[in-house]
Amino acid sequence: MFGLSMKTIYLLIPLSPLAGAIIAGLFGWKIGKVGAHVVTILGVTVSFVLSAFVVLPDVLAGHVFNGPVYTWGVSGNIPMEIGFLIDPLSALMMTVVSFVSLMVHIYTIGYMRDDPGYQRFFSYIALFTFSMLILVMSNNFLQLFFGWEAVGVMSYLLIGFWFTRESAIVANLKAFLVNRIGDFGFILGIAAIYYYFGTLDYGAVFAMAPQFTDKVVQVFPGLDWNVLTLIAILLFVGAMGKSAQVPLHVWLPDSMEGPTPISALIHAATMVTAGVFMVARMSPLYELSETALSVVIVIGAVTAISMALLGIVQNDIKRVVAYSTLSQLGYMMVALGASAYAAGIFHLMTHAFFKALLFLAAGSVIIALHHEQDMRKMGGLKKYMPITFITAWIGALALAGIPPFAGFFSKDMIIEAVHLSQVPGSGFAYIAVLSGVFVTALYTFRMLFLTFEGKPRMDEHALRHVKESPWVVTVPLILLAIPSFIIGALMVEPLLFENYFGDSIKVLAAHDVVAQLGRQYEGLWSFVSHALVSAPFLLAVGGIFTAWLLYIRYPHLPDLISKRTRMVYTILVNKYFADEFNNFVFAGGTRIFGRWLWKIGDVKLIDGLAVNGTARVIGWISAVIRHVQSGYVYHYAFAMILGLFLLITFFLHG
Amino acid sequence: MTFEMPNILPAVPEIFVFSMACVILIVDLFLSERRRIVSYLLAQATLIGAAILTFKLMVSEPVFTFSNMFVADRLADVLKLAIYAVTASVFVYSRDYLRTRGMYRGEYFVLGLFGVVGMMIIVSAGHFLTLYLGLELLALSLYAMVAFQRDSSQATEAAMKYFVLGAMASGMLLYGMSILYGVTGNLEIAAVRRALAGMDADNVMLIFGLVFVIVGIAFKLGAVPFHMWVPDVYHGAPTSVTLYIGTAPKLAAFALVIRLLIGGLENLAASWQDILVILAVLSMGVGNVIAIAQDNIKRMLAYSSISHMGFFLLGILSATPNGYSSAMFYVLIYAVMSLGSFGMIILLSRSGFEAERLEDFKGLNQRSPWYALLMLILMFSMAGVPPTVGFYAKLLVIQAVIGVGMVPLAIVAVLFAVIGAYYYLRIIKLMYFDEAEDKTPIVAGGDVRLLMGVNVMLLLAIMPWIGVIIDLCSQAIKQLS
Amino acid sequence: MEFKQFIFYFFSAVLVFAAAMVITIRNPVKAALFLVLAFFSAAGLWILLQAEFLAIILVLVYVGAVMVLFLFVVMMLDINLVRLREGFGEYLPIGGLVAVLLVIEMAIILSSGQFGLENMPEPPAYTADYSNTRELGRLLYTFYVYPFEIAAIILLVAIVAAITLTMRRRKDTKYQDPNKQIRVDRKDRVRMVKMRSEKKV
Repeated sequence: MFGLSMKTIYLLIPLSPLAGAIIAGLFGWKIGKVGAHVVTILGVTVSFVLSAFVVLPDVLAGHVFNGPVYTWGVSGNIPMEIGFLIDPLSALMMTVVSFVSLMVHIYTIGYMRDDPGYQRFFSYIALFTFSMLILVMSNNFLQLFFGWEAVGVMSYLLIGFWFTRESAIVANLKAFLVNRIGDFGFILGIAAIYYYFGTLDYGAVFAMAPQFTDKVVQVFPGLDWNVLTLIAILLFVGAMGKSAQVPLHVWLPDSMEGPTPISALIHAATMVTAGVFMVARMSPLYELSETALSVVIVIGAVTAISMALLGIVQNDIKRVVAYSTLSQLGYMMVALGASAYAAGIFHLMTHAFFKALLFLAAGSVIIALHHEQDMRKMGGLKKYMPITFITAWIGALALAGIPPFAGFFSKDMIIEAVHLSQVPGSGFAYIAVLSGVFVTALYTFRMLFLTFEGKPRMDEHALRHVKESPWVVTVPLILLAIPSFIIGALMVEPLLFENYFGDSIKVLAAHDVVAQLGRQYEGLWSFVSHALVSAPFLLAVGGIFTAWLLYIRYPHLPDLISKRTRMVYTILVNKYFADEFNNFVFAGGTRIFGRWLWKIGDVKLIDGLAVNGTARVIGWISAVIRHVQSGYVYHYAFAMILGLFLLITFFLHG
Repeated sequence: MTFEMPNILPAVPEIFVFSMACVILIVDLFLSERRRIVSYLLAQATLIGAAILTFKLMVSEPVFTFSNMFVADRLADVLKLAIYAVTASVFVYSRDYLRTRGMYRGEYFVLGLFGVVGMMIIVSAGHFLTLYLGLELLALSLYAMVAFQRDSSQATEAAMKYFVLGAMASGMLLYGMSILYGVTGNLEIAAVRRALAGMDADNVMLIFGLVFVIVGIAFKLGAVPFHMWVPDVYHGAPTSVTLYIGTAPKLAAFALVIRLLIGGLENLAASWQDILVILAVLSMGVGNVIAIAQDNIKRMLAYSSISHMGFFLLGILSATPNGYSSAMFYVLIYAVMSLGSFGMIILLSRSGFEAERLEDFKGLNQRSPWYALLMLILMFSMAGVPPTVGFYAKLLVIQAVIGVGMVPLAIVAVLFAVIGAYYYLRIIKLMYFDEAEDKTPIVAGGDVRLLMGVNVMLLLAIMPWIGVIIDLCSQAIKQLS
Repeated sequence: MEFKQFIFYFFSAVLVFAAAMVITIRNPVKAALFLVLAFFSAAGLWILLQAEFLAIILVLVYVGAVMVLFLFVVMMLDINLVRLREGFGEYLPIGGLVAVLLVIEMAIILSSGQFGLENMPEPPAYTADYSNTRELGRLLYTFYVYPFEIAAIILLVAIVAAITLTMRRRKDTKYQDPNKQIRVDRKDRVRMVKMRSEKKV
């Protein structure tokens, strides 16, 4: 295209948002607000257009690129390279990431209109887009790690974007610390890969992996670990941090302190799915370790159901969506654990659209109510905000998994896949995801009903100012609603059953549940009509019905229920006491340990003895010998003679 | 009696600088204080002219003339060009300082140029005699410049000390040379080298002479224990003179070391290596440790220069071509860093106020972030912190030492470098984390500001061309043997 | 012992003695005079080496000019001898020890046989018309012309330095300007003042 080589196009995709970010960040004061959003949106548009209309068709035509672009360093004999692996998996991710990012950029114009940090915000999100693209396009672990950390940093900066708010600071610190735990596992995994494989290149590692199936390592004395299991689990720890899986999920709800576009872009559609993407990308490794798959599926299932339950009791509209994200991420992990990588990525894609949509719709409501996020003070908004209302409905139906909306296809595929899976833990996972469907529908429609239906519960003053959001907000909503509606039906066949991913995802024949599904699959219509009588659909409808009962028909019931089931309610409201537990055991324990290290190790040994001790000794020596510099010329002369004398004595008689 | 006219062409730059110095001396007599700029401009023109001449007369192979007493080779050319550049910068920095302190007299520039002639003679010396005479010419100019501020008892005292001790050191150097003459029967450097080739390197008399020669050199370098003059002179002299002493003569001292120890006495390397190890360790140790106790920045930089000379000696004492070129690189970089640091002191000084206490740097960041940044880079470079070229210079000399298997020495050097980092970082701390006591804005002429920026940024910007400079150094060294 | 040797040792002994006295004697005038004696002895040694020109120059320049000037300075300056000698005794033991040791070391090394007569044989005697002065001149202006010129520069720098450091134009110096004196005008000097005659009170 335009005479550009594919390599140039690959380079342009991440670099154009970077260029936008640099211009907006460094010269934002000069180019003004309009300049800042124009350059960044332009950069992201270039990425999206190139990804969707050049790279994606090219990849579909069977052109896979894998190679270095630039070697920036050589350590020992490993080259450290910027390299791209452009295959169906990364092409899909690039398209999704750049599309959602583009929508969020446009939406931000409206959402952040009066914020003093306008240019900074655009610079950050464009920089985030760059990092995320680098992450998904990488062909080696080092660059993956770079992207991984870069998105983490941007997430940290954006959660704390309103850095004058105490809660934002606490939230971004929390996100940072929790991710650190995950990243620690991740980097150990990368180190293990380098240690055993001697290379950090994906292709080389995957090619060598089958030779390592029987290799064991003793992590603790007397306990043999399969090397691949170890590596896979270590990498998964990283994914747990980034994709907020139990027990490293605690940061994500708090990250809602950041501006809403960020919640949509980073904490729903893109960054949090990095873990899912990474596991899918590493499928050649995970496939070789049943234990690792089992860990993935169990953790995913626990996350899916437990986080969904929390969604029911939240009153903050954004937190409901956040818990829903956690739960959906759990679904994706379950799919990966069941070796249905394609289904996981499929859900990732549909989820990116409808969850971004829901977030942005929530944001739209929040703007209309002047940054009021408590659903108990909303209600009856459908009259005032028709576009937001309709698009939110589409998002909710997609999330609840009602056909023919996008979420239905992806979620149903996951449930079916888990049902067929033979991995240990899949039985538990099946029950979890199935009951999750009911809960999902319940909390989604609880949110929808509380916000848009019923009587307005806000005060008079606020109600008078409620109006539909400006076009920069509603247009992204509409643009996101379209894929939320149709993309499931459109993509289910090509993505899952027509071997779209080709070699980019590797599944052992014994695990290949997607292929099994494919054999049962008899076309879209029969799939949908079959689903209408299946358990998931009935559960979803049940969930919606329950929500209608509780929040529209008998609005006094929820209070009654919560009073009757005091204990359950308390546990849920306190989010299983996860924060308290972490604070007490990990934070408290670490603090005690740290204090001990500080008192004994740092203050006494290092500061006292090593640093201050030497400094004091040197200072003392210095103060003493400076007196040799007496200022008397004959002292100096004598010193010279003495020096001469000693040298002669030493070298002639010594 | 036949007499062949010596080829004076290679010495044209020397002749030019000297003649111009005389011209300025005379012209200056007819200038009023207001028109003193003419002397200044003439001095700068002289240096530029000399640079052009040196550049034009550059030779690829060594050329000897004046009965082999003068040698023009790559080493001489490189060092001379560096000396011109450094001296020209010194003049730029000094002008305002001199003017506000009633020292704006043509003699400053004339003596500076005479000093340059002396340095050029040292750099191009092919004979012990010219080496010695060049040294005396340089030293005499410096003595006079230190005492230039006649009404300052501090400056006079410093000049007196410098003079007395310098005379002693010259005497020792001369005595050492005479002993060497007695043993080898020659004063010509190349001939001494030839004579030594056939001699027993353990000869007591040779080592006896060598020790005296090294004492003389060590004094010029300011290596411990022959360093006592350095802090007093740096401190006592007007800052513009300290700037001069602390930069260009270091290059000349390097030439002195190279011409004497390596050009002439390389066969005694086993002996001078040991002596230099002692001097280097003492210099790095004493310099870095005492610098910590200083509260006057000129004194601190004086001790810092002592320690830097210790590091520079590391390169020499490895006694390999690689080591020599790394030492040359070190001294070139040191001259640039030193120029910037003293230049900064001058910049912060005003009429009636010397910014020479450490406190004067407090809160510099609030007064001028740009100069604070420049000073930060300078201090990082002096301390040898990585992105700056100062790190690379230290790395090279330490590598040279490790290359000849002196690992313990390298460890000691690194330890002292770490200790040294303390006092450089203290300045940075003062600049960035302390409140400014004095909020007067910093004023400086456009030429000074520009030069300062270039001077400091060179320490970062030069990184990609390090290879080229090192090549230049090793070429220069290669021609020696 | 040949007569020549006797002369040599005699002059050497006087030279060393005189040099020692220069730095130890209390009275600066006497010290200066001992320096004169040392120069004379050195000149004697040079004569012995057939360097008559240098010997004469030494006497003429150093004794005749430098030392006389030096004596003037010493006599005109009021040097406080007591203060000058403060601490001398304090430093004498350690200083003296180092000095003695250094001298012993130097003596041992220098007498190690490198410079003996067997290593440095006597040069052939010069012919009768050999001119020391001429030879010196020839060498200085041909072979050693470069160092000779440098020495000249050093002298120039010394002059410049000395003048720079000592010459001052004092603003309050009173001096006569004959030019002004000649061109003086009456009206500049004489002022006619009209006064009323005194009245009786």
